[in-house]
Amino acid sequence: MLTLANIDVVYGGVIQVLRSANLEVREGQMVVLLGANGAGKTTTLKAISGLLHSDHGAVTAGRITLAGQDITHADPADIVKAGMVQVLEGRRVLEHLTVHQNLMVGAHLRSDRAAVKADLEKVYNYFPALPKLLDRTAGYLSGGEMQMVLIGRALMARPRLLILDEPSMGLAPILTQQLFQTISRIKREEGLTVLLVEQNARSAIAQCDYGYIMEGGRIVLHGSRESLEGNQDVQEFYLGMGAANDRTSYREVKHYRRRKRWLG
Amino acid sequence: MINLIQILIEGALVGLVYGLVAISFVVIYRASKIINLAQGEVVVVGAFLLWTFTAGAAAAGYPIPLALGLLLTFAGCVAFGWTVERTIFRPLIGQSAFTIFMAGVALLILLRGLTQLIWGAQSRSMPVILPEGALQLGPFLLNTRLLIGAVFTVVLTIALHAFFTRSRLGLRLAAVAEDHTTAHSLGVSVRQAIAVAWILGTMVATAAAVVLLSGSILSLEVAVIGFKALPVALLGGLESIRGAPLAGLIIGIFEALASAYLDPLTNGAASGLLPYAAMIAVLLIRPYGLFGWRRIERL
Repeated sequence: MLTLANIDVVYGGVIQVLRSANLEVREGQMVVLLGANGAGKTTTLKAISGLLHSDHGAVTAGRITLAGQDITHADPADIVKAGMVQVLEGRRVLEHLTVHQNLMVGAHLRSDRAAVKADLEKVYNYFPALPKLLDRTAGYLSGGEMQMVLIGRALMARPRLLILDEPSMGLAPILTQQLFQTISRIKREEGLTVLLVEQNARSAIAQCDYGYIMEGGRIVLHGSRESLEGNQDVQEFYLGMGAANDRTSYREVKHYRRRKRWLG
Repeated sequence: MINLIQILIEGALVGLVYGLVAISFVVIYRASKIINLAQGEVVVVGAFLLWTFTAGAAAAGYPIPLALGLLLTFAGCVAFGWTVERTIFRPLIGQSAFTIFMAGVALLILLRGLTQLIWGAQSRSMPVILPEGALQLGPFLLNTRLLIGAVFTVVLTIALHAFFTRSRLGLRLAAVAEDHTTAHSLGVSVRQAIAVAWILGTMVATAAAVVLLSGSILSLEVAVIGFKALPVALLGGLESIRGAPLAGLIIGIFEALASAYLDPLTNGAASGLLPYAAMIAVLLIRPYGLFGWRRIERL
């Protein structure tokens, strides 16, 4: 459904952040993109959604296609129309609007009123706490409530591909778990394709069908959930299992990082 | 007592017309985060367009029916607002606030010059569009033109509020008012929203010109209304449509009271000074105005 082929992204004409990144999201899959801070995950998502421009970034090489359609340099509005919506990182609700208005902004491209109303009911079904918050100013909600509004707002656009950038950031573990369960349920019931960027690797890998690992602007490893869970490096670096626990000093960790298997 | 109430009524009616110009500030600011210092000049351009399609056309031997003249005026406004956005402010999207502020100053000077170049510096008499005279309400007199303007301001405020909170286009503009990147991510065309805001702002400014100048004298000095309405917009809150007429009422009434009671003691300076004193006081105490968007800080 979504393919990135050899994507390079440069900020400000000089800083190269993505180097020949390749990624594929198949229809109906939940794909997770993992990586340390600064690995280029958010840049990858912004490249896909056409949002690099506001950060003075640009795709300088490669091709991004959505359902066969080239969207490499497409306008964000056209990308949303084509069926892809991104929930940005950092809980960007429209702070001074009410929860209801936030949800309706999600449906601003749709004129089918009856279907919009039905979708609103669906969102309430996935997030039963929302109907009580409809008249509240979104900026004053709690983090968990904001995340519900954001995912609900994205669903109101009726996307085929939903992109989530670190939805669990700043949430309590129990909320994170509930959030991932709801995302899984939405994916299953709506036949949605999901691309997820996460720091919370354990929860993310447990829910995904396929995963990519990024480092230094490159995809360094990818595979199915089973292969990622079985991979020794993933276990040690992202799931906190195995030999990593024995290392006590930074020097040892640094030494170990140098011989990461996927870097050859 | 009757005299005092009469002063209050007059102040309130004039204040609501200030509110109308303030709404045009607010509509543009919400979408583009530009405080358009040249809004007074925009009112003048709207007024000259109105003159051209009414008295001007008649004087040139091509009389146009008033309704058509008004329609042509507002069509002209749409073209004007779109051109300003397209040629001056669109290329500056993403630039610093200072650059945009200076572009606003440049626009002010440019429009002043262009208006003079196209229409000349002489004063013109505007046709009577709104009924003249006064309505007798008990012992009080209400200026019909201002009364219609005030009612129009209130109706427009309600309509615009509904537009920004319920309609799809209005919600797009509201999203752009909040945050351009978030709006982009939701598929809102920020450029289109800003263009719509400029067109809407120019139309509201021209409506204010109709109310202010019907049956009156049109000259380049009319632009001063922009600087009279700026403190009103700041007092109401630059993002608040509903705040503009309320702040207009406050400033209008204070101005009328100052004009009646303080001006005789201050050689007429008090009423001119008061709106700006109020503006500075508001900026010191509530930088976001009475009803503007307070920055929500999460700690």
